[in-house]
Order: sequence, then C-alpha cells, then structure tokens
Amino acid sequence: MHPILAKRRRLGLYLLLWVPVAGLLATLLAAAGGLPAGAAAALGFSLAASYAFVCLGIWYPCRVLPLTPAQLPRAVASHALGALFSSSIWVAGGALAAALLSRSFGPRDADALYGTQAPILFAVGVLLYLLATAVHYLVLALAESRAAERRALELRALAREAELRALRAQIDPHFLFNSLNSISALTAADPPAARAMCLKLSEFLRATLLLGARERIPLADELALVDSFLAVEKTRFGPRLAVEEEIEETARRCLVPPLLLQPLVENAIRHGIAHLIEGGAIRLAAAVEGGRLRLVVENPADPERARARTPGVGLENVRARLTTLYGPAARFTAAERAGGFRVEISLPAQAEGSHP
Amino acid sequence: MTEGRPGERLRVAIVDDEELARRLLREYLAAHPDVEIVAECANGFEAVQAVAEKEPDLLLLDVQMPKLDGFEVLELLERDVPVIFVTAYDEYAVRAFDVHAVDYLLKPVAPERLAEALARARARAAGVPRRPLPLAEIRAAAHAAPRPLERILVRDGSRVHVILVDRLDYAEARDDYVCLRSGGKEFLKHQALAELEGQLDPARFVRIHRGYLLNLDRLAKIELYAKDSRVAVLSDGTQLPLSRAGYARLRELS
Repeated sequence: MHPILAKRRRLGLYLLLWVPVAGLLATLLAAAGGLPAGAAAALGFSLAASYAFVCLGIWYPCRVLPLTPAQLPRAVASHALGALFSSSIWVAGGALAAALLSRSFGPRDADALYGTQAPILFAVGVLLYLLATAVHYLVLALAESRAAERRALELRALAREAELRALRAQIDPHFLFNSLNSISALTAADPPAARAMCLKLSEFLRATLLLGARERIPLADELALVDSFLAVEKTRFGPRLAVEEEIEETARRCLVPPLLLQPLVENAIRHGIAHLIEGGAIRLAAAVEGGRLRLVVENPADPERARARTPGVGLENVRARLTTLYGPAARFTAAERAGGFRVEISLPAQAEGSHP
Repeated sequence: MTEGRPGERLRVAIVDDEELARRLLREYLAAHPDVEIVAECANGFEAVQAVAEKEPDLLLLDVQMPKLDGFEVLELLERDVPVIFVTAYDEYAVRAFDVHAVDYLLKPVAPERLAEALARARARAAGVPRRPLPLAEIRAAAHAAPRPLERILVRDGSRVHVILVDRLDYAEARDDYVCLRSGGKEFLKHQALAELEGQLDPARFVRIHRGYLLNLDRLAKIELYAKDSRVAVLSDGTQLPLSRAGYARLRELS
C-alpha cells in the first residue's frame, strides 16, 4: 500500500503541498501567457490536481527499482522516460482543457495562449516528476531504515534471550550437589567452615545471576566471580586445587562478556584437576598487547584420562558467544599440549567507559 | 539404628576422591556400630588395591574419580563385592543397576538413605548365598556408555595399567587371555579377543587373523611370502600372520 494513500491525513497534507504549485502554474499562465486571471486559475488548479495524482503513482516504479549501484542505470533511464512521458501527457491534457475553455466560457484564444507556455509547462512537469521521484526514494529509504532498526532490535532481543538461557544452563547442577554435600560434611565437624562455604557459594550464585544479566562487565568483575567459584571448589578439592594468576592491571579494566572465564575454569577443574590424583594448578593470565586483550586459562591434564564423550559444551558455548558478540574480531583457540590443556582468547581491548 | 545381628560385622571401604565426601560418610557410618571402616580410598587404583588386600564386605563407591571411575574399578575387581554407589550424578543409575549395585545414593547424601542402603546390604549378605561375580555383565555395563572403547584397563596383581587405545599396536589371543602390545610392552588381560574386538572401533582395529587384532595405523605394508600366503608388516618391523579372511577385511576397508 502506498504510504501516502494509506492514511487520509497524509493525503490531505500531500494535496496541500500542491496548492502553491497550483498558484505557481496559474501565475505562470496569467503573467507569461497573458491568460485572464480566472481562466489561468482554473487551468493551474486542474493541472496541479491531476499531476498530484500522477506523481503519487511514481511510488510503484520506485519500489521495484531500488537505487543500488547495479540497478542505477536502469532506474535513471526508467525515471527519465517516465518523466518525459508523464509530462507530455500532462501538457497535452492541459491543452485539451484550454481548448475546452476557449470553446465554452473562457477567452477565445485560451488554447493559443496556453500553447505559448506549453514548453515551459513541459519542463516544469519533468522537474516535478523528478522531484516527486526523489521524495519517494527518500520515503522508501526512511521506511527501510526503520524496518532494519526494528529487525536489529528483534535480533538483539533474541540473542539476549538465547544467551540468558545458555547462562542458566551453565551453572552445573552437579557442582551445586557436590558443594552441598561438602557443606553437609562440614556442618558437624567444622561449623564455621560450613558457614563460610555457604557464604562463598551464595556469593558465586548471586554474582552469576547479577553479572549474567549484563552485556559487558569489567574483567575485574569476571575475575571476582571466578575467584568465588574457585573458593568453593577449593573447599571441595582441598590441596589438590591450586591457582596461579598473572593479571595485568590494565587488563582488569577491559570489558568482557559476563561468564566468559568461569565456564573455562570449571572445565579446567572437571576435565583436568579432577582426573589427577595429586591435582595441580590452574593458570589464569590476562594482558593487553597492541590494543587486544589476551586471556589464557591453562590446566594440567591426565593424558590417560577417559575423554568426555561430547567435546566441551562449555567450550563451544564460549566460542559461540564470542562469535555472536565480536564476529571475526575475536579469536578463540583451545588445544591439548604437553600434559595439559590451554584455552586462549583474544579480543579487541575496550576499556570501561569507552564502550557506548 | 543398626539392624545387624550381634557378631556380624559389616566391613566397609569408602572410595571417593573428595576428602569432605569421605568425612561425611565416615560420620554417618559412625551411627552404625556393626560397621567397620577398613579402608578409605581417594582414587580407583587405591580402591582396587584395598579390595584385594582388605577384602571388604561392602564398597561405598563414587563414580567420577581420577584415573579409574567407579565402573572401571568394578571391572577390575575379581571378587564379588556388594557396591553402593554414591555420586552427584543421576545419569549412571541404569548402569549401576546393570552391575547389580545394592543401592544408588545421590549427593548430598541423606543419613536415612544411607541407613536404608546399609540395611539392604546386610540383607543381601545374610540371605542370598554368594553367587559368582557376573564378570561379563559387569564388563558389558562398564562399557555401555563410552563406545568405542578409548582405554583398556589391565590388572597386574594390585597394580592397574591404563592403555590408551591410540597406543595399542595389536592384540594377540593367548588361550583365555589377550596379550596387548603397546610401545614394545606386553600386557596380559583375561579377556577373549572377540570381546575386545567388539569393544573397539571397527574402522581402526581389524581382525587380520583368528589370533590377531591389528591397529590399522600401525600397518606399514603387506608382503607376499608364499603363494596365497601373506604377512602384515607393522611400522616397527613386526610381522604378523595375515589370513585370507583377514586380507579380505583389510581390502574392504581400504
């Protein structure tokens, strides 16, 4: 449906725009053509009114001839032809009206006087046609950008929802059950330790829910979340779990998607430390180099362990989120190496505050 | 709280890699005077050794542990030891049932559930005479999930060897045993070659002869040494007999 014809108010406004055109045409016919004011007004008004509707019709060719580089020559040629053709018909129609006028109540030479102005009218017709074409393209472009914006909004809402669902799935229920079992063990033998572990666990859960709802968080916040997770796991694993951190101060201020490192650390424990009798140390590193934030999670692993049947849901999840959020600007590598496993992430370094 | 008959002691081994989880079971078991804890193991290797040395009447066994998981421990046991699984994972319940577990407890463990499980274990110990360990069933259940097999467990006295399938060169049938060759070493396992063949990836391990199962990655070439009679030459130079049927199978795969 034509956007102007769709609403009566819009059509009224549009026709109102043509009133000055009618005045202009009448003035032209009266001043330059020498037609009497009444006849000039009548002709000018009918010419403007008829052309107003002709110009509305341009919307349809505009819609099928988008101004893409490939279509441009065709569009220009079509619209030029359209302008010449419409204007010719229009001027001819005007001549017919003038002839009718001269036969009935108007001045006898109305058609002849009109004839002297025909070339100028033709030029005006062509110009009006092209102007209307330009306006239509503008309207189309506006509508298109609005639609694109709505689509982008919808997409973002969808992505957000998917991400939240993924986050909910990321809190491993077995982690909770094992932690609760540890708390249960501590309640009788070491009540203060049991209470401390309850608090650590709550801290981790709250941080997960709170930070997970945000789009980007400073790395410092993600590291705090990881620390609360590790505090719970350290109670469970005891001396088997050690952590080494090498975090640059500038890296702490960089923005990262929430729960980026936590699933990697969880994997490092589940597929690494948990399989080692003596345990081992998880190494976390973050540094900013050449405008990029580099994050590393490394863990020792038992080369003889039974492999996970489905290779890393957690890893795939992180990889997919990075792709959605950064596209090719993010790099993600995960590899087994020399008795261990290493995940490296490289992102454009965005400091807090510089992000829109 | 105890239903044990006087004099009837229940000798229990606790197997869990988490110290706190063991502590919790210890605390709960203290309420049962007939229960004696004879061993506490932090991993599968220790469990296999403890069962051999201490001969417990009951195992409280975690599933996810370093080196050997709970099912692998059972596969390596040569005695019929009643088992109560204790794990945070509910997805192993079916496999646990298949290996005739006495019970299956979920973490966090409730003391009432443990008491119930113990009662069941006592009833089993008192009632039904010991039946022989259904080894084949246990092995089948132990490998129900990860198929094809990725690692082979071999018991050598109280020691356990883990052979990654990638590192297995070939397996040779020797009476009731298979001899596993891996990196120049030999391991003997009480198993039929056909059973092992069924557990391994058929695209990677081929029965080249009635007595030989070969890792295809190790095959260097096939040599004709007499009319209609061939040998498979491995990359380390070892020569293995190649039967006519085995040759046909190899040709089918290539």
